[in-house]
Amino acid sequence: MKRAKLFMDTMVQIEARSGNEMSEDALDICIVKAFEAFRHVERACSRFSPESELMQACRKIGEATPISPYLFEPLRFALEMAEWTEGVFDPAIGRLLESKGFNRHYLTGERTNSNVDGSATYLDIELSEANRTLCLHKPLILDLGATAKGFAIDLAARELKCCAGFVVNAGGDLYAGGTNDQDDKWTIGIRNPAKVNGILQSLLITDAAVCTSGSYERRSEVVEGEHHIVRPDTGKSPNEWISCSVIAPYAMMADAFSTAAFAIGGEEGIALIEDAGLQGLILTADSRIKKIGGI
Amino acid sequence: MAKMKKKWVVLCSTAIAAVYTAGYWATESDKSNIPVNAVYSSPSATSSTSGSGTAQVLDSQSQVSSKYNDGTYVGMGSNRRGTIQVSVAIENDRITDVEISDFAMHYSIDDVVGMPDEVLQIQSANVENVSGATYSTRAFSDAVQDALDQALRA
Repeated sequence: MKRAKLFMDTMVQIEARSGNEMSEDALDICIVKAFEAFRHVERACSRFSPESELMQACRKIGEATPISPYLFEPLRFALEMAEWTEGVFDPAIGRLLESKGFNRHYLTGERTNSNVDGSATYLDIELSEANRTLCLHKPLILDLGATAKGFAIDLAARELKCCAGFVVNAGGDLYAGGTNDQDDKWTIGIRNPAKVNGILQSLLITDAAVCTSGSYERRSEVVEGEHHIVRPDTGKSPNEWISCSVIAPYAMMADAFSTAAFAIGGEEGIALIEDAGLQGLILTADSRIKKIGGI
Repeated sequence: MAKMKKKWVVLCSTAIAAVYTAGYWATESDKSNIPVNAVYSSPSATSSTSGSGTAQVLDSQSQVSSKYNDGTYVGMGSNRRGTIQVSVAIENDRITDVEISDFAMHYSIDDVVGMPDEVLQIQSANVENVSGATYSTRAFSDAVQDALDQALRA
């Protein structure tokens, strides 16, 4: 069974098979619930909808606000990554992304231009583990573009765990669970945007996520040569790499690590993936492929 | 190294558990048709002053009430590979769901989003899914707009 819906400005495609143990009706319910995961996370984490939990929280400065786990968890992961990378990866980057034209709601076409100066960083974001609250110490716009989709994929994968096999593919970031129709591992290709043969590498995957950050989709319409991954320290998009894929046990992890490594680049970016014990594949701007972790 | 990796894995597994143990999943899922987004205006009528920093965060009160009839509307759009069909569910002027309704019948979904032909050939051979930089939903915007036009109150 295969279905596709739009969420988070991308197409989410879910393919699942029931195997012998499960009825088609039960499978259908699992798929519906898996799509619901995307709906919940989008409602909580969208930067493009003024009524999302995230944008409501961004209007409260200096006040601890209780937030749902749909926002708390991907924000916590993003903050851990921000600390780990000393701010090269930063969830406070929303305003900067808005200014580069990444501010259009994909369904309504409405654009968001927030009235904040963009000087705040992740250090101005405080989460309370005990109270499950968020407190922003300066006006800022949160951006969970590198964790929320991964988190939604992980929640969807959990709903599909009882299936014999499934793939949740959210516009090129995916989790593959169980096995395919032939009861083999899933074959996942890593796209090569530059070459005619299309695929950089094909991987055999089961119960793991593959996420790719790249500069070849989501280009800035405002600033030439820029794309949706921006370093807060330079205010610019790194262009040393074209694509960075990470394989991890969770999509939120693969998503955040591929984005953070892309932002850092070079040997340091590679070390970020290596040190976490993950596998990765990088395509550099001079068309070289770097493999990490014995792919 | 292994220890370091464990920290991130634990963060991910507790994140999933937090949604379930808090009871969020059960209670939230009981509410049917939670809106994805409000329909503030048609996609063609965008206003943008990027970088000016003067516009305010949009107020949710700015939505026009009863612009659309509730229901599910089929919209068609096309790109260089053919037509795209979507089913758009609307409730209280909000889009609650957008399903790509017939891709399985006529073409691979990857045709729709404009994947290179070479990728498609390889895919049909043995690659079941492709990981790549996240593509946007621009290919679907005409079809969504077509559905919204049909939902407009006369």
